[in-house]
Amino acid sequence: MSSRTDDELLRSLLDGELEESLRCELAARLKADPELASRCAWELGFSEWIRQALVGDAIEAERSFLGALQSDSLPIGDLLGHIRDGSASSFECDQVVKHLWGAPAAAQGLRRRLAEDEWLRLAVSSSKSEQAFIESLETRMWAETGQDRFVEDFAKRFERELTALPGGIEAERVVPLCRVGRVTMLRLFGAAAAIALGAFALAQVAVGRLGSAPALASVMKSTPDAIWIEGASPQNDGTLRPGLYELKSGVVSMRLTGGGELTVEGPARFEVGEDASTEVHAGIALARTPGKEVGMALSSRGLNISEPGRLVGIDARNEGATEAIVFDGDGGICLDGSGKCRDLSKFEAVKVDHLRDRLVDVPYNPRAFSKAWAMVAGVEDNLGPVTIELPGSVISAAGGAEGEVRVFVENESFRPDGGVEVDRLAVGAFAAAGPNPGEALESNGELRSYLVQLTPSVSEGREEAIETSLTFDHPVVGVIFSSDRLEDSDATVGSVLAEEARRGLESGEDEILLSEDRHTLNLRFRGGADHAEQVRVLVALN
Amino acid sequence: MTTTDRERFIEQVREHHAGLRGFVRSLGVDPLWVDDVAQEAFIVAYNRLDEFDRARDFGAWLRGIARNLVINERRKDARRKRILSDNLTEVLIASSSANDDEPEEMGDYALARLNALKECVRGLPEKSLRLLRSRYEDEHSAQDIAAAFSMNPPAVRKALERLRTALRECMEERVALSPAR
Repeated sequence: MSSRTDDELLRSLLDGELEESLRCELAARLKADPELASRCAWELGFSEWIRQALVGDAIEAERSFLGALQSDSLPIGDLLGHIRDGSASSFECDQVVKHLWGAPAAAQGLRRRLAEDEWLRLAVSSSKSEQAFIESLETRMWAETGQDRFVEDFAKRFERELTALPGGIEAERVVPLCRVGRVTMLRLFGAAAAIALGAFALAQVAVGRLGSAPALASVMKSTPDAIWIEGASPQNDGTLRPGLYELKSGVVSMRLTGGGELTVEGPARFEVGEDASTEVHAGIALARTPGKEVGMALSSRGLNISEPGRLVGIDARNEGATEAIVFDGDGGICLDGSGKCRDLSKFEAVKVDHLRDRLVDVPYNPRAFSKAWAMVAGVEDNLGPVTIELPGSVISAAGGAEGEVRVFVENESFRPDGGVEVDRLAVGAFAAAGPNPGEALESNGELRSYLVQLTPSVSEGREEAIETSLTFDHPVVGVIFSSDRLEDSDATVGSVLAEEARRGLESGEDEILLSEDRHTLNLRFRGGADHAEQVRVLVALN
Repeated sequence: MTTTDRERFIEQVREHHAGLRGFVRSLGVDPLWVDDVAQEAFIVAYNRLDEFDRARDFGAWLRGIARNLVINERRKDARRKRILSDNLTEVLIASSSANDDEPEEMGDYALARLNALKECVRGLPEKSLRLLRSRYEDEHSAQDIAAAFSMNPPAVRKALERLRTALRECMEERVALSPAR
């Protein structure tokens, strides 16, 4: 027996410094002294709380501990109920496991009930509908494979494999779902409910908005299908004052007085606060802060964007969860009231589970932002088969349809740290894109870089030129189409190509025209299929 | 992508998603993550389509993939887990079959059952439907539903249990009468 007191042994244990021999001694003392044993148990439990509090899970730990105390006396029926509604604590799960252990029939019964619950959700919830599942699967396939034609490929491969099965797919097993009518009705009910719920709030804020409150934002761009809900729309001059706004359809971009930009895709509901903060209550939103000096207060249903990065997206379409995704820069996201925060880098995403106050990592999947991105990308197509690729798309010669022009935003915003050589190009007239002496880029400010790429035609010969016309929001200050200059500028714009390939427009057959106002670029591709026909376009942001 | 391609794709997913989602849930996956796991199973299936043994049932193959995904969940750190509990999933997985003889309601007849269930739900009285929506669409707890319906929580739980039993019976009856089986 050592000369150390009970307290000293206990402290050593808690500090993780109790030697093997002393552990046995402490164990013997605990056995002999129930009061000491109880104190030891409490101290160990408390240490665990401290550990969890340090990683931001204190509230959860407390809840779980209290839940465990309460659920100790719950009958098995209630415990199973908690499992079925997804609210069971790990302690409750273990209680159920004890009940199911060695009773396969009971386990099988629970599995059936769980499956039934899932189908009930499928049957009554629009967010769990077959349509929603399919759409979500499509976008996820895009995210996983980085190419748009996954669905087409999926369908063809599955058909090829499955029709070879004995009897193939039994068509009669596929029962029509009458889905359209049901979903439409649900949407109508949803819209009606949203309008009814919003009416009171709208009435409350309308007074403020119509009064003398200063304009805190103004509409920059809208798609032709943009429709606002009456009483929740910007002023006639396109300005927005503090209040609640509801966009029924379309996409609208707004500039806030602080310099930030907010783009929303309808159906969406958002609020502009008196401090020019914005809160997205529902729908899709993209927020852009043009520089570090520009602040932007953005939140969505308990999700606080503490550091918005340069471009951040919010998907608040589903009731139970909100997703945030960083497209450019570094972002920070916190869950209000829980102390849970996450730092997010470019192309990272998190989801907030509102039912359980959880912040979880999810795969980067920008597909939901396609429409909003088309407006935010800063380039519009006027002519030809053009696709504005989503951020994070792999720049590759493969992946597009034959003859399709793909536009990648290579770098949202950068300041060249060295000289950039661009190709020499006269404005206002078509000219052959061929070898030229080049020139140094004049602009020294903030730039954005686009890569315009024609997907080569694998068919023999190209009879007609493929012509495309793109209009950029910002003035074009440099165009690079020669192979060497493209390669030299890759590092400056931070572009990474998926494969080594001959690139550029050097055959002398392709033509290029930059409009006199330097906003529109027309391209006539006539070159061969043996290399990637690419043009880098640099625009000045300020 | 042509309309036909998309229709083919939808048909494939439609054929199997309901059974797969029920199966995934039945292994103790958190209700909020069921669709995520089921979608992952479709993607893994696509990537490994060359390994698919044509002599096997496709739905069973999908369920095998999902089963492995759920088993792997137990190795993840707590923050990334999509299951409610390691121990619960272990016992539920032990009771599931890796072969093709999974109970038919979790197998390839799930779609017919789901359609039957939808018909049954449509026939519910208004109050029952509201109760069901509160629980399964709005994900409200029995406590919250009780407050909204001026009931006490045990009565809500009891009412939901009765509704589930009635819907189960209705679904079985419809499926038994259906010529699709």
